[in-house]
Amino acid sequence: MGRKPGKYIALVFVAIIAVAVFIGYRIWNKPHADIRDADSVKTTSIALYEILSKSGSGSVTYLNKVVEVSGAIAEVLKNEQDQQVILLKTNVSGGSVNCTMEEEVTGIKPGDTITLKGICSGYINGDKDMDLPGDVFLIRCYRSI
Amino acid sequence: MKKKVLMLLFLFTAFRWEAQGQIFYTKNGNLSFFSKTILENIDASNNQVISVINFQSGSIQFSLLNNAFHFPKAKMEEDFNENYIESDKYPRSAFKGTISDISNIDITKDGTYQVNVKGDLAIHGVTKNISVPATIIIKDGNLSAASVFHVLVKDYNISVPSIVTNKIGESIEIKISCTYEKK
Repeated sequence: MGRKPGKYIALVFVAIIAVAVFIGYRIWNKPHADIRDADSVKTTSIALYEILSKSGSGSVTYLNKVVEVSGAIAEVLKNEQDQQVILLKTNVSGGSVNCTMEEEVTGIKPGDTITLKGICSGYINGDKDMDLPGDVFLIRCYRSI
Repeated sequence: MKKKVLMLLFLFTAFRWEAQGQIFYTKNGNLSFFSKTILENIDASNNQVISVINFQSGSIQFSLLNNAFHFPKAKMEEDFNENYIESDKYPRSAFKGTISDISNIDITKDGTYQVNVKGDLAIHGVTKNISVPATIIIKDGNLSAASVFHVLVKDYNISVPSIVTNKIGESIEIKISCTYEKK
């Protein structure tokens, strides 16, 4: 008579542990958010660079957010891990919105207008003494249709 | 008088041109870090490193945004930004230093040079003077640089809760790889 309640308690305890482990496993292995489906803040490369390079209060709107940015392509290149990087023009010569692509975009060239969606990491200063302007960086980018 | 002014202007321009020819930069260098632990290896990469080398002065600098490190696991990336590097409080990490024996490097000829780089590394609000080995390669007019070195997490006030110390190694291996273009 005394065994059955003990057995039930043990089963419940094991079930709780199993659920906790399962939840912990799912949290630890959760995938990165899909940028393509995410809500985004829309802007242009010129405006985004202007705001972030001056690091005013406006930057809160864009920092660490999914941003959809439109602009003219300044350059297309590859980084050290062979990912495509698209540089969008700004009003500062040598300063760009620097977008690292998750998927390569084909058939584009400097001068084309394009809209890209990615996470805005922020702005890094270049070097004033060496006349090198900084860039605004977007990571995990996709082309917006 | 006019001739002297013109001569000074010419010399200044020529000097500036010469200096500009010695400056190399990249805005998409790579910095990755790795730590081996009992449970799971920590592996992250940042491809948005700005680096500038001035071959005339020997100065070299790197800077990056801490929130641009990409981890294979989203939860690791979240924990890194929120609890360890605190990227909202400390958005950037940077290094500023000099390359030893810069005059030994001939940027007009193909060659591989082992150098030492010494300077200030700033991470998580702490700046420490470090000295690390690096390799500079000149090939077909292209310049690249690479370095591998280790830092201790505790040296930069990065506190790891005891509950996860077996996940985070104390020593982190840092690898830098940059391909530069001439300014």
